[in-house]
Amino acid sequence: MLKFLVTLLLGFFFGSILLASQAFSWYRIQEMFHFQSFHMFGLLFSAIGTSAFFLFLIKRSKAKSVYGNPIDVQPKKLEWKANLLGGLIFGIGWSISGACSAPVYILVGLHWKIGIVLLLGAFVGTILYGLTENKLPRQ
Amino acid sequence: MNSPLPWFIAGPLIGLIVPALLFLREKQFGISSSYRFIGATLLPKIKYFSYSKEGDRWQLQFAIGLVFSGLVAGQFFTGFDAVTVQPVEDYQQTALTIYEWKNALQFFIGGILVGFGARYANGCTAGHCIMGVSQFAFSSILATIAFFIGGLIGSLVINPIIF
Repeated sequence: MLKFLVTLLLGFFFGSILLASQAFSWYRIQEMFHFQSFHMFGLLFSAIGTSAFFLFLIKRSKAKSVYGNPIDVQPKKLEWKANLLGGLIFGIGWSISGACSAPVYILVGLHWKIGIVLLLGAFVGTILYGLTENKLPRQ
Repeated sequence: MNSPLPWFIAGPLIGLIVPALLFLREKQFGISSSYRFIGATLLPKIKYFSYSKEGDRWQLQFAIGLVFSGLVAGQFFTGFDAVTVQPVEDYQQTALTIYEWKNALQFFIGGILVGFGARYANGCTAGHCIMGVSQFAFSSILATIAFFIGGLIGSLVINPIIF
């Protein structure tokens, strides 16, 4: 229950930042891909920089989690065709809907009609991937 | 609430979620596996969904938090988009009206591509672009480059022609 609440709160925090910075918004995504503002680029770069800094500290200090286990961070497996082709498809979807995975959930709460359509779409996409998984090029 | 929270505040706060999840939940930041978890719960008979889903349960809890953030924002800021967006000329109209029912097909198609692409690429903006790139993982750098190429195609070519 405590784990659930902690995770829920972190999700709430993440969503609130995406809302306040307007990164969830279709408009901000179009603006980014039209290079009309530095806002989204600055947001992404500073998020990556902050994360990299803390990952470096965690590695150096051999920090432990609240459960007392060493924190182990693994990179995602390299499957270059899957990373590139999947990434390309994801990017097209991101700019058409103006939402990546997290804003889909935010929109369920904010504009529930469109949010549910988006979530349904993402779910259908996941099923389609599951049905074609073995036929897709990977590496 | 006319202008957005500046990127130099919002970005680092998002970056902080990475160590927070590692310390508090021993999890690597990501969100798109939640779709697979939902699938495994609703449609366990599909082969792709019959996997050991427990490792992804936290992502659904994280997602519920995201939904709540949208609900709360919707209560406090009525006409959220209309007030907060600073329109650039080209998008003035669409920025205010985009989340209307008549655009449902556009969002549905976009959603399908997001769901499919995130699973195929093995991550999304959170898992690859933020978590992965901050580890300097080659897979994530490749995926992030592809996200942006896809985004440029969608935003500059597909949107103006079709939607």
